Amino acid sequence: MKVSEFAQKSGYTLFCTGEDRTIESGYCGDFLSNIISRAPENCCWLTVMNNVNVAAVATLIDCACILLCEGTAPDAAFAARAKQLGLWVLGAQENVFEAAKKVAALCSV
Amino acid sequence: MDCIRLEYDVDGENFASAGNASESVKRTLKQLGIPPASVRRVAIAMYEGEINMVIHAHGGKAVAEIYPDRIDITLKDTGPGIADIGLAMKAGWSTASENIRSLGFGAGMGLPNMKKYSDEMDIDSVVGVGTTVFLRIRF
Repeated sequence: MKVSEFAQKSGYTLFCTGEDRTIESGYCGDFLSNIISRAPENCCWLTVMNNVNVAAVATLIDCACILLCEGTAPDAAFAARAKQLGLWVLGAQENVFEAAKKVAALCSV
Repeated sequence: MDCIRLEYDVDGENFASAGNASESVKRTLKQLGIPPASVRRVAIAMYEGEINMVIHAHGGKAVAEIYPDRIDITLKDTGPGIADIGLAMKAGWSTASENIRSLGFGAGMGLPNMKKYSDEMDIDSVVGVGTTVFLRIRF
């Protein structure tokens, strides 16, 4: 499923839009070194981290989108960098587990 | 042999710009048509090195030399140095502060990731003088 379609169907908050990739998998985590070494390309990355380094890591791993969970919103620096880098950033009120279930169900991953 | 040489100043303790050098190298490699799997290895290894320079060493210099079959990356800082390289290479071991950990770093995966994703890695470090890390990744 394309990120744009996921954004629409999930009803999640849309913080930034970018290249409309297909979500092929999901990955949950907050430790950035784990993310960059283990998160698969074109995944939906679920995290509660909201600093500017999340944008840099998302670019390096070529994820399809970032899904900020538990009501997390990007801070100003993060939002600006994400916009500059052309990243999709969405926001969910649910915890990571519940949001991951929704990603899995909607995207069939 | 001719190579493409890219040089970067890594700004110490500026987390807003951390990753700029890695992103730039990644973009260049993609433009050169280097296989995506190799590009990813380079990006991971270099980003970890770049972040280490920001977290531990007040920044430094990053030089990437791109050859047809490989990239050589040299990361040089004048930070505090690494007292025990063997311990620093151990996964999960970190001297990062709580503040750094709250940003998502300090998992003790930096040097192990650099080793894992490079074909050759060499660390030259003198306490009180600085650290130079050499990475070679073949395409």
